[in-house]
Amino acid sequence: MSDNNVNAPVYTNFSTKHRGRLAQIPIYLGKFFRMFVYMNDWTVIPMAAIMALLVAYVTREGIFITMEGTFKGTLALMCVALWNGCFNSIQVVCRERGIVKREHRSGLHISSYMIAHMIYQMFLCILQTVTTIGVFVFVRIEFPVMNGIITGGILVDIAITVFLITYAADMLSLFISSVVKDTTMAMTVMPLMLMVQLIFSGGIFSLPPSLDGLSSLMISNQGLTCLCIQADYNNLPSTSGWTLLKKIADSESADPQVAESIMMIENEGYDEVIRVETAKANFREDYVLNEDNIIVCWVLLSGSILFYAGAAVIVLEFIDKDKR
Amino acid sequence: MLFFFVNAYWPGYGIAVTQVLYIIGLFVVLKRCQVNPYWALIPGFREYHLSRCCDREHEGRVFFVLCILSLVSELYLIINSAKDGSGEVKTISVVTAFFLMLVMFAAVGEFVYTIRIFAGLCDLFGYSKKYLWFYFLFGREVMLWILGFGNASPKFIYLENTNGEGAKLSGMEAETLESGLTVNIEERTVSEFFKKRQLLRDIHLNIEPGRMVLLLGGSGAGKTTFLNAVNGYEKADAKITLNGIDLYEEYAKMKYNIGFVPQMDLMRVKDSVELTVEDAAKLRLPTFMNAKQREERIDEVLSFFGLMPVKKSLCSKLSGGQRKRLSIAMEYISNPDLFILDEPDSGLDGVMARELMQGLRKVADQGKIVIVITHSPDRVADLFDDVIVLAKDSKLTGRLAYYGSIEKALDFFNTDSMEKIVLRINREEEGGEGFADMFIEKYAEVCHV
Repeated sequence: MSDNNVNAPVYTNFSTKHRGRLAQIPIYLGKFFRMFVYMNDWTVIPMAAIMALLVAYVTREGIFITMEGTFKGTLALMCVALWNGCFNSIQVVCRERGIVKREHRSGLHISSYMIAHMIYQMFLCILQTVTTIGVFVFVRIEFPVMNGIITGGILVDIAITVFLITYAADMLSLFISSVVKDTTMAMTVMPLMLMVQLIFSGGIFSLPPSLDGLSSLMISNQGLTCLCIQADYNNLPSTSGWTLLKKIADSESADPQVAESIMMIENEGYDEVIRVETAKANFREDYVLNEDNIIVCWVLLSGSILFYAGAAVIVLEFIDKDKR
Repeated sequence: MLFFFVNAYWPGYGIAVTQVLYIIGLFVVLKRCQVNPYWALIPGFREYHLSRCCDREHEGRVFFVLCILSLVSELYLIINSAKDGSGEVKTISVVTAFFLMLVMFAAVGEFVYTIRIFAGLCDLFGYSKKYLWFYFLFGREVMLWILGFGNASPKFIYLENTNGEGAKLSGMEAETLESGLTVNIEERTVSEFFKKRQLLRDIHLNIEPGRMVLLLGGSGAGKTTFLNAVNGYEKADAKITLNGIDLYEEYAKMKYNIGFVPQMDLMRVKDSVELTVEDAAKLRLPTFMNAKQREERIDEVLSFFGLMPVKKSLCSKLSGGQRKRLSIAMEYISNPDLFILDEPDSGLDGVMARELMQGLRKVADQGKIVIVITHSPDRVADLFDDVIVLAKDSKLTGRLAYYGSIEKALDFFNTDSMEKIVLRINREEEGGEGFADMFIEKYAEVCHV
């Protein structure tokens, strides 16, 4: 070590002021953006593009065209957003828990740290949303031909929903990352959390009415509902009924009388009536296209964001209790 | 296995017989470990006390929680089954499925934690870990009978001697220094798992500016607890003053005047050295300093710790010694009056460790108080002015066994090296000589004289 005498003035005079909560945010924002470059955090953007591309190719035949295709496609789009959000932040706090503890001791405000994370993660989520929607446009997915009910642009409306799903999932993961002590535990909890989200999304299993309340609090459920509303699900044609009848008619083991009746329906042009009736039967009250329904979904998703971020701050305030 | 064997010969008696054998085995093992053997009758508590015998208290606590979880879930399932009347579960509701899942989870957890506790018991009784196969193949009852009725005796008694009085209190109090650090710790306790534990007690001392102090003590003597109490991070029943200001009352302001360097090099390794110190400076330096003054201070500190050549490098590229110096520089940036380092030389070779300590000596020579924990004190003992010796008394509480100059410490403990001081005060079961109480009381007498 140098022999230079570091006779610095007393910086720690009793009356001196140090950076408050607001002034600490840029310090951490700077750190996180450096991490974006040096710690390969940027890889989440191409990952989002790859996931969106896969989903777009698989769903492009039906999404925004038929009820069934739209339901499956929006479910897949919601999953992309959910997974993007989860992978963004599941390790960010737990991997540097010791550092946060040390910095907390040196004057770091946990709320500043978390707000910096929120801003940085918002930046990532916006990039991922733009990438996802961009890929969908690139693959020539036919978006609904109508004006967006909130912003006037349907792409913007859908992008806002995708962003809110991604960001809410991101905040949920940030919360989990603040609770668990290490990355191994975080990566163990994450699949479990994703499973819960998928089960309660209402997109894969029909849930008993007693679980409606719980289900409506899930990011996946609100996200899927919002995307289906924006896709105008209730006014799309349904193909499932007629496809099933055709399948029966084409089957070699089908009763000849049944097969003949189905052929007669088709010949007399009643197949369209069946399509319309199937669509009526598939009508869902919660997917009715109107401003109020979309706003409710957005408010609930925004509420989730604030709730998980707040919970993460509260949990992390106890970081000093960590054992050595 | 034993359960199935018994059930095959006396159908229906499997559980009863294995439980009786388990309780007998536990009774004997607990008795041999000098624990009240009647704990063997209470599920959860018995495993907890068993874990304490072999110094696996954490495992015992987790087991206790799992046991309660399991009991509550099983109770729910039994009541639910009784309501049904038939005694058979016909349809599984969501709640029932949840409790079934909890029972499964608890069972797996109990199995794993039992392995951990039995592994600890094997160590305690001097058996090879291969003996765990008796548990896997025949059950916990057989394992406990081997431990309880085997020839081997417990190597140590880990448990707290609650009947002991501990060393006598000194009755001292350090006078508050206008300049320097004054420590008056009455006690530092923690409440954990339904009981209160005293970690530190009766520690009174003054450290003047410019002193470099070695903090010595055996494992578990409370060195880190002492440092955390002194720097206000974990408050004790104490009055700590730095330059006459009460540290606990004014902690929010005073924390910037204390530098604490943890044992691990906690920094973001993908950040550069310069930016790491700059961020630390932004956090710790007062707002009246402008960017230019801050930059000057950063360069000054980097140069002092010999980090200028690697200023632009990523932290991941630094050697162990450089990282350690960077870790110290991050705290030193605010020029604190009290500088505390927890094993700064861990992981460094002799030459690097000495170089690091020489740097700390220079910090002390600037009128700072430097307190250092190290587990290799003899290679750097000449650099220190004073030594604080903490020792566990017979109640396992951290107490002050000595505070004074290095030379006098060797006389006081009648030994020729710092490491032998630790041996003298360590408990016999830890490989020491077990004279902690004697030296604690002797030091109190010396101070009174």
